Amino acid sequence: MIRKLRLPRLSRRRFLGGTAALGAAASGLTGRALAQDKVVRIGFLAPLTGPVAAWGKPGLDGCRIWGEWVNEAGGIELSDGAYQVEFVSYDNEYDPAKARTGATKLIREDGVSFVMMLGGDTWPGAQPVADKTGMLFSTLLPSDLSPDTTTLVAPAEVHPVYNVTGVEWLAENHPDLKTAVMCAQDDALGLPSVATYLAAFEAAGIEMQQEPILFDPATTDFAPVVTKMIADNPDIVCLDTAYADYVHPIVEQLFQQGYDGQIISCTADFYEQMIEKTSKEFMEGFIFQFPDFDDPALNQDFINFPDPNRFYEVYTERHPGEWGAVSWEYASIMDLWKAAAEKAGSAEPDAVLAAMKEGGSGPHAFGTAQWWGEDLFGIDTALVGNWPVVVIQDGKARIQEFRSIPDWYDQHGELLKKHMADYGQMWDQRA
Amino acid sequence: MDLLLQTGLNAVYAASYMALIAVGLVLIFGVMGVINFAHGELFMAGAYAVVALYADLAVPFLLAVAGGLLFVGVLGLVMERALFRPLRDNPLGGLVASIGFLLVLQALAVLLFGVRMEHVPPATQEIIAFSERVRFPLQRLWVVIAAIVLLSGLWLFLKKTRLGWALRASAQDPEAAALQGISINQTARIAMFIGAALAGVAGALSAPLVSVNPHMGHSVIITAFIVIIVGGIGSLEGAVVAAIVYAFIHTFVTTFWDGVIADIVGLTLMLLVLIVKPTGLFGTADRA
Repeated sequence: MIRKLRLPRLSRRRFLGGTAALGAAASGLTGRALAQDKVVRIGFLAPLTGPVAAWGKPGLDGCRIWGEWVNEAGGIELSDGAYQVEFVSYDNEYDPAKARTGATKLIREDGVSFVMMLGGDTWPGAQPVADKTGMLFSTLLPSDLSPDTTTLVAPAEVHPVYNVTGVEWLAENHPDLKTAVMCAQDDALGLPSVATYLAAFEAAGIEMQQEPILFDPATTDFAPVVTKMIADNPDIVCLDTAYADYVHPIVEQLFQQGYDGQIISCTADFYEQMIEKTSKEFMEGFIFQFPDFDDPALNQDFINFPDPNRFYEVYTERHPGEWGAVSWEYASIMDLWKAAAEKAGSAEPDAVLAAMKEGGSGPHAFGTAQWWGEDLFGIDTALVGNWPVVVIQDGKARIQEFRSIPDWYDQHGELLKKHMADYGQMWDQRA
Repeated sequence: MDLLLQTGLNAVYAASYMALIAVGLVLIFGVMGVINFAHGELFMAGAYAVVALYADLAVPFLLAVAGGLLFVGVLGLVMERALFRPLRDNPLGGLVASIGFLLVLQALAVLLFGVRMEHVPPATQEIIAFSERVRFPLQRLWVVIAAIVLLSGLWLFLKKTRLGWALRASAQDPEAAALQGISINQTARIAMFIGAALAGVAGALSAPLVSVNPHMGHSVIITAFIVIIVGGIGSLEGAVVAAIVYAFIHTFVTTFWDGVIADIVGLTLMLLVLIVKPTGLFGTADRA
């Protein structure tokens, strides 16, 4: 039986001929496949593990959804045809040395055309690589910007300057609240935010009861910090830009120690968990700056983020309970990058940057915004416009209003610069 | 006055969980001569046991804590058998192996639970209110009670039982203890189980109160080292006293001055003790 199944004897000529034909066919197929699958790679250099992962990993998850949608719609249209987009990630663990290694790897080995970062403590690690290669980088933290960072843009959020919108809204809607206290982790993310909140409170006529309390990022027990903060019964407790790992235990301590005033914070990631640890009543009126994207207010005409409600739905379906401040931000940067690359017809960093900044304004997720920052960062590479004020109402985050950051800055810019300088956060003071 | 009382209560809680962790670390060092760098990760493992049992599987909280104690105790036995016993004759072997195990535990936590902090619902929201601004959550009281009960139990075990005497004998002079027929392997197993379980129960009870993540052991181990250096490496009484002293100083300085200054004061305390009494408050020269 086995003998019957054997193939006829294969001569050397027949073997070589067949192989050659197969090779030719295969090479033709590969050529066609490559023509259809030109790929532009985007680097994602952010903390994917460690305490700051909540501001990296959800962003990568958002980018993957963005990439799928863009690729399904035909990809990115450059002058020589359509390109599929592919994200290459590197976990920098919020460590400057790892950020440097990651930037080098993404550019040299993976051939990326653009690198997105969280920034902050990790930007000084990547900056020498950016300087050397001329690669276009983005940061979520404009406090990384300086006249030397010519290939770094902050196109998604103007942290921490947008925090002024929350304080301004609070002062207008709760004029009876006159005293505030604040705590923050003592790092590159916390300090510029402290300066911003101080300026915003001063501009709003809200008095600080005590100096901002700075805590070591290694703090695990926040009871002493909270006891100190609420000792004089402040009207407002401000949590600055603290990581979720700090915001949650601080809020829980505020609840347990009997605080019943107003809380304002830059972020309230996973706020449902905070409600479970405290109560819906306790969290009512909590002000922060990052909306859920199922918010009806995001369906207005001036919003540039495509289909935010569906994005939120897909995201929360794939990553239940993981929606956070940065889930949409890196994807919104990609919208801006895609528009600029298509305008330039090229993914080359300098061409994309020029197209991005052409005309001095750009399509920010929350409406058209202007390239700004000369006064504060020494360079106009932050995209600044409107920012939402979000309040927890009946257990759900809801946008109350979009407020203009440049309008606030026009009135109170000097105050912000003064406090930034006091905390050594002006671009010419940072090492 | 309210501020003083509330700060005092905060310090009592901090002293309790620090004592649980530091005593475990000292016990392991005392009996086995190993500085267990993975002790913070044993604390983390206790917290994750509560995440798995209580938060995910809805096991009652105190039962989950007991599960965490047992799980981490067994983890200690595994460390003793697989890491520390084969390296007993290598002075640095145990230390290096514990650093490796620390990384393994962190990686396992990432693989099993992910990188993000875990949500542990409160076991109870009951609060003992002494006044409007002096309040002590029941969850924190459990940590204090656990520390008192477990450390008292350990003291009785070490002072009043034959196994406890064997442990102390092994800690004082392993060779002489072995000559008296005491099994060094058995005392090492007991010390490792108890030391790990104490860290585990501290982590398990603290899980609803702190941010549970794979790297939560870092800050705990640094504080524990300061405490055991101040108390005297190898001294259980020293660890308890130092935990109380350190917790009160750190908590009061944080509340009345600043958290960053509190860290500096804590380290300064350690340096002062090392200068004035290099063996620590309760340490003896042969263990220093």
